[in-house]
Amino acid sequence: MLRNVLLKTLRDLRWPTFWTGLGLGVLGFYFMWIINTFENTFDWKGLMDQFPPAMKALVGGQLIDFSSPTGFLNMELFPLILPLVLAGFATALASGATAGEEARGTLDVLLAEPVDRARVLVEKTIAIIAGTVAVGVALFAGIWLGAIAVGSRPDLALVAAGVLSAILLALAFGGIALAIACATGNRAMAIGLTGALLVVTYFVNALAPLVDMLDRVRWVSPFYYYIGNDPLRNGLDIGHAAVLGCVAVAAFVAALLLFERRDLTA
Amino acid sequence: MGARAGSPVIATHDLTRYYGRSRGIIDVNLEVRAGEVFGFLGPNGAGKTTTIRLLLDLIRPTRGHAEMLGLDVRHDRLAIHRRVSYLPGELALYGDLTGAQVLQYLGNLRGGLPGKEIAGLADRLQLDLSRRVKAMSLGNKQKIGLVAAFMGRPELLILDEPSIGLDPLVQQEFERWVEEVRADGRTVFLSSHILPEVEHLCDRVGIIREGRLIAVEHVADLKSRALRRLEIDFGGDAPPEVFADLPGVQDVAVHDGVLRCTVMGDLDALVKTAARYHVRDIHTVETSLEEIFLAYYGKDVNRHVA
Repeated sequence: MLRNVLLKTLRDLRWPTFWTGLGLGVLGFYFMWIINTFENTFDWKGLMDQFPPAMKALVGGQLIDFSSPTGFLNMELFPLILPLVLAGFATALASGATAGEEARGTLDVLLAEPVDRARVLVEKTIAIIAGTVAVGVALFAGIWLGAIAVGSRPDLALVAAGVLSAILLALAFGGIALAIACATGNRAMAIGLTGALLVVTYFVNALAPLVDMLDRVRWVSPFYYYIGNDPLRNGLDIGHAAVLGCVAVAAFVAALLLFERRDLTA
Repeated sequence: MGARAGSPVIATHDLTRYYGRSRGIIDVNLEVRAGEVFGFLGPNGAGKTTTIRLLLDLIRPTRGHAEMLGLDVRHDRLAIHRRVSYLPGELALYGDLTGAQVLQYLGNLRGGLPGKEIAGLADRLQLDLSRRVKAMSLGNKQKIGLVAAFMGRPELLILDEPSIGLDPLVQQEFERWVEEVRADGRTVFLSSHILPEVEHLCDRVGIIREGRLIAVEHVADLKSRALRRLEIDFGGDAPPEVFADLPGVQDVAVHDGVLRCTVMGDLDALVKTAARYHVRDIHTVETSLEEIFLAYYGKDVNRHVA
């Protein structure tokens, strides 16, 4: 696992990826299990009808659909928990990719070897994408296993569309974090700024149905492209997915250019 | 093995890098020849590490440029880095890897190195490669850095303060390695803030102070002007005027029978004169680089190039 920067980075990411994947996988399993319980014993619809509209919006109440297991996932897991966890995961990895080595001082050793800055960044980015996809796949596997365990039959293609959309969202934020980290060498700044952007754009999208002003700027929020078209009901919207993909690619290219021309901190 | 005879292994041309107002380097023109051991000497903060990091393209110059092995340090960095090794001044290694894994990784990045060679070098330093780097002492980490710098027989070794954390036995072994590289016709560029170390190892020395290269000297010339502070305890009966007139002896003072003075060049005259009296003890005090600079060059920083 020490053959090149890619394998070394995969090795470095194996435990964070494993634990985050395990966490989301268990969460997916758990959701499939409680939905089965609640469907029979709890008047969710009655409860939700009593929520004020703002409250419903915050928990994704616009999307509630009790007629299927994916409806429940769409209410609880996909609007809030999954995107924040997955995008937070990618942000943390991307912030540490080069900036972590720079802060520890190992980047000087690495770049004195015959490896390009660009190549280091490309290989580390591939490892981060692999880690993010693995966590998404773990969630999907958890939902699937949970469905089998309780004898539920969610539409797995729609679940996969939702997970894929979340992965693209995570890569968009990861790309932004990478660009900040590569431009500044400052890991804390990359995590902080991207985290702030994550929260702000989440609320722009989540509160858009309630606030006219936000509704007009909703299109700037990556969350709109993540879930605006409701992938758990309608499948993946290629146009929206492409927007997230383009954000990720553009941010990566920016990271590449900024990293290449910058002085590394000693 | 070495670069073509006559062509410099390192050449900088008006290499300048500003950091704000006071730090950085200014118009450094340095030439290191193939096959020599070149010492880069200066007090901490003088610009040694800045120069080295510019050579390795870790930072970029404000103006000027540099070549190593006849290639541009920016545009041909991959070709250069295949043939050059680097030991950073503040060495940081992957703490979660063992020593063997760190060296294996760095070796792989260079296209793969025989494990035998790595193990052989580690043995010579009595370095246990099976431990994780984060559990290692500073001295052992530095040994890994040394093995990394010497493995693969690079044409040019750039060593930033290589002696930090080394105990005397390891220091001796390190000096043998430098000798072997010299005998091979390969080149070593090492920085230090300690004059005796550089005198010991190097053929030529470049002296940098406040970001400017103020002198490049053959070590032999430097030694002839060595500056030492001496204390001789006569236990009472030494007439200071006898010593004050000796060639090369300055700043003579006597207090409680102890003579203090500064000597430039060799000690012959002073010792022979002192031998006429009862000598209880002799101390030599390491002179700081700053004192040496003042004694050699005064405030004037015109360049002296050998």
